[in-house]
Amino acid sequence: MTLLVDERGRRIATFRWIAVRLMETVAGWTPTTPEMEVKQVFGRHIWDFAQHADALGKRTFELRLPEQHSIPPTEPYHNVLTQVAALRGTVERLAGLYDAVLPGLEARYQRYLQLTDAVLDEPSIVIVERILTDLARQRRDADRVRRSLTIAPGDPGELRMTEAAIADVCQVTATAV
Amino acid sequence: MTDIGYVTAGTIRLRANPARDPCFTVVYRDADMHEHAGAGQVARREMVHRHMSNEITSLDIAAQCLAEFPEAPWGLRLELARQCWDESRHVGALHRRLQAMGGRKGEFPISVFEWNITCAIDNLVGRLATQNRTLEAGAMDVVGALRRSVHDAGDEETARVLDMILTDEIQHVRFANRWIKTLAAVDRRALLKVAMAVRFLAETNAAFLPSGPEVNAVGTLLEAPTDRIPPVNIEDRRLAEFSDDEIREILRQAGFRSLEPETPVERPA
Repeated sequence: MTLLVDERGRRIATFRWIAVRLMETVAGWTPTTPEMEVKQVFGRHIWDFAQHADALGKRTFELRLPEQHSIPPTEPYHNVLTQVAALRGTVERLAGLYDAVLPGLEARYQRYLQLTDAVLDEPSIVIVERILTDLARQRRDADRVRRSLTIAPGDPGELRMTEAAIADVCQVTATAV
Repeated sequence: MTDIGYVTAGTIRLRANPARDPCFTVVYRDADMHEHAGAGQVARREMVHRHMSNEITSLDIAAQCLAEFPEAPWGLRLELARQCWDESRHVGALHRRLQAMGGRKGEFPISVFEWNITCAIDNLVGRLATQNRTLEAGAMDVVGALRRSVHDAGDEETARVLDMILTDEIQHVRFANRWIKTLAAVDRRALLKVAMAVRFLAETNAAFLPSGPEVNAVGTLLEAPTDRIPPVNIEDRRLAEFSDDEIREILRQAGFRSLEPETPVERPA
Protein backbone atom coordinates (compact mmCIF):
# COMPACT_ATOMS: atom_id res chain seq x y z
CA MET A 1 0.00 0.00 0.00
CA THR A 2 1.29 3.46 -0.83
CA LEU A 3 0.04 6.97 -0.15
CA LEU A 4 -2.24 8.61 -2.69
CA VAL A 5 -1.30 12.05 -4.02
CA ASP A 6 -3.98 13.69 -1.90
CA GLU A 7 -2.68 11.95 1.23
CA ARG A 8 0.89 12.96 0.48
CA GLY A 9 -0.15 16.59 0.07
CA ARG A 10 -2.03 16.64 3.35
CA ARG A 11 0.80 14.93 5.21
CA ILE A 12 3.43 17.26 3.81
CA ALA A 13 1.20 20.25 4.68
CA THR A 14 0.80 18.88 8.21
CA PHE A 15 4.55 18.45 8.58
CA ARG A 16 4.88 22.06 7.40
CA TRP A 17 2.46 23.24 10.09
CA ILE A 18 4.54 21.39 12.69
CA ALA A 19 7.81 22.92 11.41
CA VAL A 20 6.35 26.43 11.62
CA ARG A 21 5.04 25.76 15.13
CA LEU A 22 8.46 24.48 16.25
CA MET A 23 10.11 27.58 14.75
CA GLU A 24 7.69 29.78 16.69
CA THR A 25 8.13 27.79 19.88
CA VAL A 26 11.91 28.08 19.88
CA ALA A 27 11.69 31.73 18.83
CA GLY A 28 9.36 32.42 21.75
CA TRP A 29 11.74 30.68 24.14
CA THR A 30 14.84 32.57 23.02
CA PRO A 31 14.32 35.90 24.87
CA THR A 32 13.06 34.13 28.00
CA THR A 33 15.95 31.66 28.23
CA PRO A 34 18.86 33.15 30.20
CA GLU A 35 21.81 31.04 29.05
CA MET A 36 23.69 32.70 26.18
CA GLU A 37 24.90 29.38 24.76
CA VAL A 38 21.38 27.94 24.72
CA LYS A 39 20.12 31.05 22.93
CA GLN A 40 22.81 30.42 20.32
CA VAL A 41 21.57 26.87 19.78
CA PHE A 42 18.00 28.13 19.52
CA GLY A 43 19.04 30.75 16.94
CA ARG A 44 20.45 28.05 14.69
CA HIS A 45 17.42 25.81 15.13
CA ILE A 46 14.93 28.58 14.39
CA TRP A 47 16.55 28.84 10.97
CA ASP A 48 16.53 25.03 10.57
CA PHE A 49 12.79 24.81 11.26
CA ALA A 50 12.11 27.77 8.96
CA GLN A 51 13.99 26.03 6.15
CA HIS A 52 12.08 22.80 6.79
CA ALA A 53 8.79 24.67 6.58
CA ASP A 54 9.88 26.45 3.43
CA ALA A 55 10.96 23.29 1.64
CA LEU A 56 7.79 21.44 2.66
CA GLY A 57 5.73 24.49 1.64
CA LYS A 58 7.22 24.47 -1.85
CA ARG A 59 6.40 20.79 -2.10
CA THR A 60 2.72 21.34 -1.16
CA PHE A 61 2.36 23.40 -4.33
CA GLU A 62 3.66 20.47 -6.37
CA LEU A 63 1.03 18.26 -4.75
CA ARG A 64 -2.02 20.25 -5.90
CA LEU A 65 -2.18 22.47 -2.81
CA PRO A 66 -1.39 26.18 -2.46
CA GLU A 67 2.28 27.11 -2.00
CA GLN A 68 3.35 27.22 1.67
CA HIS A 69 0.09 25.56 2.64
CA SER A 70 -0.22 24.26 6.20
CA ILE A 71 -2.74 21.90 7.75
CA PRO A 72 -2.99 21.71 11.55
CA PRO A 73 -2.25 18.30 13.08
CA THR A 74 -4.72 16.20 15.03
CA GLU A 75 -5.90 17.72 18.28
CA PRO A 76 -3.88 15.44 20.61
CA TYR A 77 -0.64 16.29 18.77
CA HIS A 78 -1.58 19.98 18.72
CA ASN A 79 -2.02 19.74 22.48
CA VAL A 80 1.43 18.18 22.91
CA LEU A 81 3.05 21.04 20.99
CA THR A 82 1.08 23.60 23.01
CA GLN A 83 2.19 21.90 26.22
CA VAL A 84 5.84 21.97 25.10
CA ALA A 85 5.67 25.63 24.05
CA ALA A 86 4.45 26.51 27.55
CA LEU A 87 7.45 24.91 29.28
CA ARG A 88 9.38 27.41 31.42
CA GLY A 89 12.81 26.27 32.61
CA THR A 90 15.78 25.59 30.34
CA VAL A 91 16.07 21.99 31.58
CA GLU A 92 12.40 21.32 30.84
CA ARG A 93 12.49 23.06 27.46
CA LEU A 94 15.53 21.13 26.26
CA ALA A 95 14.07 17.84 27.46
CA GLY A 96 10.61 18.53 26.05
CA LEU A 97 11.77 19.47 22.58
CA TYR A 98 14.92 17.45 22.02
CA ASP A 99 14.14 14.31 24.03
CA ALA A 100 10.40 14.00 23.44
CA VAL A 101 9.07 15.94 20.42
CA LEU A 102 11.98 15.55 18.01
CA PRO A 103 12.51 11.79 18.43
CA GLY A 104 8.78 11.32 17.91
CA LEU A 105 8.81 13.57 14.85
CA GLU A 106 11.76 11.68 13.42
CA ALA A 107 9.79 8.44 13.76
CA ARG A 108 6.83 10.03 11.96
CA TYR A 109 9.01 11.23 9.09
CA GLN A 110 10.56 7.73 8.88
CA ARG A 111 7.10 6.24 8.69
CA TYR A 112 6.26 8.60 5.83
CA LEU A 113 9.34 7.38 3.96
CA GLN A 114 8.19 3.81 4.41
CA LEU A 115 4.70 4.52 3.15
CA THR A 116 5.32 6.69 0.15
CA ASP A 117 6.35 5.67 -3.34
CA ALA A 118 10.14 5.76 -3.58
CA VAL A 119 10.13 6.83 -7.22
CA LEU A 120 7.01 8.89 -7.73
CA ASP A 121 7.33 10.84 -4.47
CA GLU A 122 11.12 11.17 -4.55
CA PRO A 123 10.99 14.99 -4.31
CA SER A 124 9.26 14.63 -0.91
CA ILE A 125 11.71 11.94 0.11
CA VAL A 126 14.70 14.17 -0.59
CA ILE A 127 13.19 16.93 1.57
CA VAL A 128 12.32 14.56 4.41
CA GLU A 129 15.76 12.96 4.40
CA ARG A 130 17.40 16.39 4.69
CA ILE A 131 15.08 17.24 7.56
CA LEU A 132 15.96 13.99 9.32
CA THR A 133 19.65 14.84 9.06
CA ASP A 134 18.95 18.24 10.64
CA LEU A 135 16.80 16.83 13.43
CA ALA A 136 19.56 14.40 14.42
CA ARG A 137 22.08 17.26 14.45
CA GLN A 138 19.75 19.42 16.51
CA ARG A 139 19.55 16.71 19.16
CA ARG A 140 23.33 16.48 19.19
CA ASP A 141 23.52 20.29 19.54
CA ALA A 142 21.22 20.12 22.54
CA ASP A 143 23.28 17.37 24.14
CA ARG A 144 26.47 19.33 23.54
CA VAL A 145 25.18 22.53 25.14
CA ARG A 146 23.83 20.59 28.11
CA ARG A 147 27.24 19.01 28.61
CA SER A 148 29.15 22.27 28.22
CA LEU A 149 26.93 24.12 30.71
CA THR A 150 26.40 21.06 32.92
CA ILE A 151 22.65 21.38 32.54
CA ALA A 152 21.02 18.36 34.08
CA PRO A 153 19.00 16.21 31.70
CA GLY A 154 15.28 16.70 32.25
CA ASP A 155 12.67 14.00 32.46
CA PRO A 156 10.69 13.94 29.23
CA GLY A 157 9.10 10.60 30.10
CA GLU A 158 5.48 11.69 30.36
CA LEU A 159 5.64 13.94 27.31
CA ARG A 160 7.35 11.23 25.32
CA MET A 161 4.69 8.69 26.23
CA THR A 162 1.89 11.11 25.40
CA GLU A 163 3.49 11.88 22.06
CA ALA A 164 4.13 8.23 21.25
CA ALA A 165 0.55 7.30 22.09
CA ILE A 166 -0.76 9.55 19.30
CA ALA A 167 -1.34 7.27 16.36
CA ASP A 168 -1.51 9.95 13.71
CA VAL A 169 -0.60 13.63 13.43
CA CYS A 170 -2.50 14.03 10.16
CA GLN A 171 -6.23 14.68 10.20
CA VAL A 172 -8.59 12.38 8.27
CA THR A 173 -6.19 9.93 6.71
CA ALA A 174 -6.31 6.23 6.17
CA THR A 175 -2.66 5.47 6.96
CA ALA A 176 -1.09 6.32 10.31
CA VAL A 177 2.13 8.37 10.33
CA MET B 1 4.82 32.11 24.96
CA THR B 2 5.31 35.90 24.82
CA ASP B 3 5.46 36.38 28.55
CA ILE B 4 7.81 39.35 28.85
CA GLY B 5 5.82 42.30 30.15
CA TYR B 6 6.24 46.06 30.04
CA VAL B 7 7.70 48.69 32.33
CA THR B 8 6.92 52.37 32.49
CA ALA B 9 9.65 54.97 32.77
CA GLY B 10 8.06 58.39 33.21
CA THR B 11 5.51 58.58 30.42
CA ILE B 12 7.31 56.04 28.24
CA ARG B 13 6.20 52.41 28.08
CA LEU B 14 9.12 50.05 27.42
CA ARG B 15 9.42 46.29 27.14
CA ALA B 16 10.78 44.61 30.26
CA ASN B 17 14.21 43.02 29.97
CA PRO B 18 14.82 39.70 28.22
CA ALA B 19 16.47 36.91 30.24
CA ARG B 20 20.23 37.04 30.72
CA ASP B 21 22.79 34.79 32.41
CA PRO B 22 23.19 35.74 36.08
CA CYS B 23 26.83 36.67 35.38
CA PHE B 24 25.69 39.73 33.41
CA THR B 25 24.97 43.08 35.04
CA VAL B 26 22.38 45.00 33.03
CA VAL B 27 22.65 48.80 33.24
CA TYR B 28 20.49 51.53 31.78
CA ARG B 29 22.75 54.51 31.17
CA ASP B 30 25.82 54.88 28.98
CA ALA B 31 27.58 56.31 32.02
CA ASP B 32 27.19 52.97 33.82
CA MET B 33 28.89 51.06 31.01
CA HIS B 34 32.65 50.46 31.18
CA GLU B 35 33.65 51.85 27.79
CA HIS B 36 37.31 52.79 27.84
CA ALA B 37 39.04 55.41 25.74
CA GLY B 38 41.57 54.38 23.10
CA ALA B 39 42.29 50.93 21.69
CA GLY B 40 44.21 49.31 24.55
CA GLN B 41 43.66 45.71 25.59
CA VAL B 42 40.92 46.36 28.16
CA ALA B 43 39.20 48.84 25.83
CA ARG B 44 39.12 46.30 23.00
CA ARG B 45 37.95 43.52 25.32
CA GLU B 46 35.12 45.69 26.61
CA MET B 47 34.22 46.61 23.03
CA VAL B 48 34.06 42.94 22.00
CA HIS B 49 32.00 42.14 25.12
CA ARG B 50 29.62 45.04 24.39
CA HIS B 51 29.10 43.91 20.79
CA MET B 52 28.63 40.30 21.87
CA SER B 53 25.89 41.49 24.20
CA ASN B 54 24.33 43.59 21.44
CA GLU B 55 24.24 40.52 19.20
CA ILE B 56 22.42 38.54 21.92
CA THR B 57 19.90 41.37 22.04
CA SER B 58 19.51 41.38 18.25
CA LEU B 59 18.88 37.62 18.37
CA ASP B 60 16.25 38.11 21.06
CA ILE B 61 14.54 40.86 19.05
CA ALA B 62 14.41 38.91 15.77
CA ALA B 63 13.15 35.81 17.60
CA GLN B 64 10.49 37.82 19.42
CA CYS B 65 9.29 39.26 16.10
CA LEU B 66 8.85 35.71 14.78
CA ALA B 67 6.94 34.67 17.88
CA GLU B 68 4.71 37.73 18.11
CA PHE B 69 3.76 38.26 14.47
CA PRO B 70 2.64 34.88 13.07
CA GLU B 71 0.54 36.63 10.43
CA ALA B 72 3.57 38.27 8.77
CA PRO B 73 4.31 37.26 5.15
CA TRP B 74 6.26 34.01 4.97
CA GLY B 75 9.12 35.59 3.02
CA LEU B 76 9.65 38.14 5.79
CA ARG B 77 9.50 35.45 8.49
CA LEU B 78 12.16 33.52 6.62
CA GLU B 79 14.43 36.59 6.68
CA LEU B 80 13.89 37.01 10.41
CA ALA B 81 14.61 33.32 11.00
CA ARG B 82 17.84 33.63 9.04
CA GLN B 83 18.71 36.73 11.06
CA CYS B 84 18.33 34.65 14.24
CA TRP B 85 20.98 32.25 12.99
CA ASP B 86 23.27 35.08 11.87
CA GLU B 87 23.05 36.82 15.24
CA SER B 88 23.67 33.56 17.10
CA ARG B 89 26.82 32.99 15.02
CA HIS B 90 27.93 36.56 15.77
CA VAL B 91 27.52 35.88 19.49
CA GLY B 92 29.64 32.74 19.11
CA ALA B 93 32.37 34.46 17.10
CA LEU B 94 32.61 37.39 19.52
CA HIS B 95 32.55 35.10 22.56
CA ARG B 96 35.38 33.06 21.05
CA ARG B 97 37.30 36.28 20.38
CA LEU B 98 36.61 37.57 23.90
CA GLN B 99 37.97 34.37 25.44
CA ALA B 100 41.04 34.48 23.20
CA MET B 101 41.66 38.01 24.49
CA GLY B 102 41.54 36.72 28.09
CA GLY B 103 38.00 37.93 28.76
CA ARG B 104 34.82 36.22 29.90
CA LYS B 105 31.10 36.77 29.56
CA GLY B 106 29.80 39.01 32.32
CA GLU B 107 33.15 40.75 32.68
CA PHE B 108 31.61 44.17 31.92
CA PRO B 109 28.15 45.71 32.36
CA ILE B 110 25.75 45.41 29.43
CA SER B 111 22.69 47.22 28.10
CA VAL B 112 19.52 45.78 26.55
CA PHE B 113 18.05 49.17 25.68
CA GLU B 114 17.51 48.27 22.02
CA TRP B 115 15.22 45.44 23.14
CA ASN B 116 13.43 47.71 25.64
CA ILE B 117 12.59 50.16 22.85
CA THR B 118 12.03 47.91 19.83
CA CYS B 119 9.91 45.29 21.50
CA ALA B 120 7.68 47.96 23.04
CA ILE B 121 6.43 48.69 19.51
CA ASP B 122 3.27 46.71 18.76
CA ASN B 123 3.67 46.24 15.01
CA LEU B 124 6.26 44.48 12.88
CA VAL B 125 6.87 47.20 10.30
CA GLY B 126 7.60 49.63 13.15
CA ARG B 127 10.07 47.20 14.67
CA LEU B 128 11.81 46.73 11.33
CA ALA B 129 12.08 50.51 10.97
CA THR B 130 13.50 50.83 14.47
CA GLN B 131 15.75 47.82 14.95
CA ASN B 132 16.93 46.91 11.46
CA ARG B 133 16.67 50.11 9.47
CA THR B 134 17.76 52.52 12.22
CA LEU B 135 19.68 50.78 15.02
CA GLU B 136 21.37 48.06 12.94
CA ALA B 137 22.10 50.56 10.19
CA GLY B 138 23.65 52.78 12.86
CA ALA B 139 25.64 49.78 14.04
CA MET B 140 26.98 49.43 10.47
CA ASP B 141 28.44 52.91 10.86
CA VAL B 142 29.86 52.13 14.30
CA VAL B 143 31.31 48.74 13.35
CA GLY B 144 32.71 50.14 10.11
CA ALA B 145 34.69 52.70 12.12
CA LEU B 146 35.66 50.18 14.81
CA ARG B 147 36.95 47.72 12.25
CA ARG B 148 39.33 50.40 11.06
CA SER B 149 40.45 51.46 14.55
CA VAL B 150 41.19 47.90 15.77
CA HIS B 151 43.02 47.23 12.52
CA ASP B 152 45.08 50.38 13.11
CA ALA B 153 45.78 49.13 16.66
CA GLY B 154 47.23 45.94 15.17
CA ASP B 155 44.36 43.65 16.19
CA GLU B 156 43.79 41.97 12.84
CA GLU B 157 41.74 39.11 14.25
CA THR B 158 39.11 41.34 15.84
CA ALA B 159 39.00 43.44 12.66
CA ARG B 160 38.36 40.27 10.65
CA VAL B 161 35.51 39.19 12.96
CA LEU B 162 33.92 42.63 12.80
CA ASP B 163 34.15 42.65 9.01
CA MET B 164 32.33 39.30 8.75
CA ILE B 165 29.62 40.53 11.12
CA LEU B 166 29.24 43.76 9.19
CA THR B 167 28.66 41.79 5.99
CA ASP B 168 25.70 39.96 7.57
CA GLU B 169 24.28 43.16 9.03
CA ILE B 170 24.03 44.66 5.55
CA GLN B 171 21.50 41.97 4.64
CA HIS B 172 19.52 42.55 7.84
CA VAL B 173 19.19 46.22 6.99
CA ARG B 174 18.54 45.51 3.31
CA PHE B 175 15.70 43.07 3.89
CA ALA B 176 14.08 45.55 6.27
CA ASN B 177 14.34 48.32 3.67
CA ARG B 178 12.79 46.03 1.06
CA TRP B 179 10.00 44.75 3.27
CA ILE B 180 9.06 48.21 4.56
CA LYS B 181 8.58 49.27 0.93
CA THR B 182 6.64 46.09 0.12
CA LEU B 183 4.36 46.43 3.15
CA ALA B 184 3.79 50.12 2.44
CA ALA B 185 2.87 49.34 -1.16
CA VAL B 186 0.19 46.94 0.09
CA ASP B 187 -1.09 49.22 2.84
CA ARG B 188 -0.10 52.90 3.06
CA ARG B 189 -0.83 52.87 6.80
CA ALA B 190 2.46 51.02 7.18
CA LEU B 191 4.21 54.35 6.53
CA LEU B 192 2.37 55.92 9.44
CA LYS B 193 3.49 53.05 11.67
CA VAL B 194 7.07 53.58 10.51
CA ALA B 195 6.86 57.29 11.27
CA MET B 196 5.38 56.65 14.72
CA ALA B 197 8.05 54.05 15.50
CA VAL B 198 10.88 56.38 14.48
CA ARG B 199 9.35 59.16 16.58
CA PHE B 200 9.02 56.80 19.54
CA LEU B 201 12.70 55.90 19.19
CA ALA B 202 13.72 59.58 19.03
CA GLU B 203 11.57 60.53 22.01
CA THR B 204 12.83 57.62 24.09
CA ASN B 205 16.43 58.41 23.25
CA ALA B 206 15.84 62.05 24.14
CA ALA B 207 14.34 61.05 27.48
CA PHE B 208 17.16 58.71 28.45
CA LEU B 209 20.28 60.21 26.94
CA PRO B 210 22.16 62.96 28.77
CA SER B 211 22.05 66.46 27.31
CA GLY B 212 25.78 67.01 27.61
CA PRO B 213 29.11 65.28 28.17
CA GLU B 214 29.48 62.93 31.14
CA VAL B 215 32.09 60.72 32.76
CA ASN B 216 31.33 57.00 32.87
CA ALA B 217 31.93 54.43 35.61
CA VAL B 218 35.56 53.86 34.65
CA GLY B 219 36.41 57.52 34.27
CA THR B 220 36.09 57.85 30.50
CA LEU B 221 34.82 61.20 29.31
CA LEU B 222 31.81 60.58 27.05
CA GLU B 223 31.00 63.30 24.59
CA ALA B 224 27.45 64.65 24.40
CA PRO B 225 25.24 62.25 22.38
CA THR B 226 24.95 64.79 19.57
CA ASP B 227 28.76 64.73 19.25
CA ARG B 228 29.02 60.93 19.37
CA ILE B 229 27.54 60.25 15.91
CA PRO B 230 29.99 57.98 14.06
CA PRO B 231 31.19 58.58 10.49
CA VAL B 232 28.64 57.30 7.98
CA ASN B 233 29.44 53.97 6.33
CA ILE B 234 28.28 55.07 2.89
CA GLU B 235 29.43 52.01 0.96
CA ASP B 236 27.58 49.51 3.17
CA ARG B 237 24.50 51.73 3.45
CA ARG B 238 24.35 51.71 -0.34
CA LEU B 239 24.59 47.90 -0.33
CA ALA B 240 21.76 47.89 2.22
CA GLU B 241 19.72 49.84 -0.36
CA PHE B 242 19.47 53.21 1.27
CA SER B 243 18.76 55.74 -1.46
CA ASP B 244 21.22 58.54 -2.22
CA ASP B 245 18.77 61.04 -0.74
CA GLU B 246 18.55 59.01 2.47
CA ILE B 247 22.33 58.75 2.70
CA ARG B 248 22.66 62.47 2.12
CA GLU B 249 20.25 63.14 5.00
CA ILE B 250 22.16 60.77 7.29
CA LEU B 251 25.41 62.47 6.28
CA ARG B 252 23.90 65.84 7.12
CA GLN B 253 22.94 64.57 10.58
CA ALA B 254 26.48 63.24 11.06
CA GLY B 255 28.00 66.60 10.18
CA PHE B 256 29.00 65.29 6.74
CA ARG B 257 31.53 62.87 8.20
CA SER B 258 31.88 59.61 6.32
CA LEU B 259 34.26 56.64 6.27
CA GLU B 260 35.01 57.46 2.63
CA PRO B 261 35.39 61.21 2.23
CA GLU B 262 36.85 60.66 -1.21
CA THR B 263 33.53 59.33 -2.60
CA PRO B 264 30.86 61.95 -1.96
CA VAL B 265 27.25 61.04 -2.63
CA GLU B 266 26.24 62.37 -6.03
CA ARG B 267 22.77 63.69 -6.62
CA PRO B 268 21.19 61.67 -9.43
CA ALA B 269 20.88 63.55 -12.73
